[in-house]
Amino acid sequence: MKIRWILIVYSVISMLGLMMLLSRENVYVVIALVLGFLLLGHREFWSLVRYRRLPVIDERVRNNLTSAMRLTGGFFLIASIVLILLLRFNVFRDTPKELIISGQLVIIGIVYLVGYHYYDRVRPNLGERATRWIKIYLITAGLSLSTIALAIVLHNLVSACFGFEDAFFFILGLLVAPVVLVVSLLGSLAIFIKGLWASFTGVEQA
Amino acid sequence: MKEYRARLGLTQEKLAEIVGVRRETIIFLEKGKYNPSLKLAHNIARALEVGIEDIFILNDD
Repeated sequence: MKIRWILIVYSVISMLGLMMLLSRENVYVVIALVLGFLLLGHREFWSLVRYRRLPVIDERVRNNLTSAMRLTGGFFLIASIVLILLLRFNVFRDTPKELIISGQLVIIGIVYLVGYHYYDRVRPNLGERATRWIKIYLITAGLSLSTIALAIVLHNLVSACFGFEDAFFFILGLLVAPVVLVVSLLGSLAIFIKGLWASFTGVEQA
Repeated sequence: MKEYRARLGLTQEKLAEIVGVRRETIIFLEKGKYNPSLKLAHNIARALEVGIEDIFILNDD
């Protein structure tokens, strides 16, 4: 019952957010949010249309929702710290602020969507080895993302303090860390897709 | 679990309705890919008219 009320409050806030975004002519963000809602709540929408009631939120769904919300909350916290750091050092000086915040919201939505599907469909079909690897890949991705932000800040700091163009943090932030990020994201995505595929075929991934 | 359900002539949807969960949860339970709470295990056992230990085993892992 509590979860249902949270979802209702969340939907009302989202509708208000959508109206605000529409009034600011951020149509692309609205499309992304609506698509996200449809993807995430397709079962709920179908049940409302077909049976005129919301589907049961049982303990499995409740556990998955809680885990996905916890994951998204953690990501939101880290993303906000990184974003504040980048804004503080004028990395996005030519980008409108509302575009940055909208981008962050869309990415958070994607993280929630992927997180929920991971707990709902992928994890039950992953063996111990695959679960361990997906964790390693995601931690590496998080670390390399933080390294990019930190390297940009340190590069600017070193250049400003010592008056010469720093090469180490430049290469680290714009070459090494992005490559590691892409590789780890592709690795985790591959395991995610394998697990998702297994949920349809019923073959468990080691 | 599937066996006991079939014995009573219950569909996954009907059993889900009786114990108040989604059909997908019954599917995951029958495949052994979800560990139910004690309350859910008890409700399922009661709906299938068997003891909990007949359909669920305690795994120390």
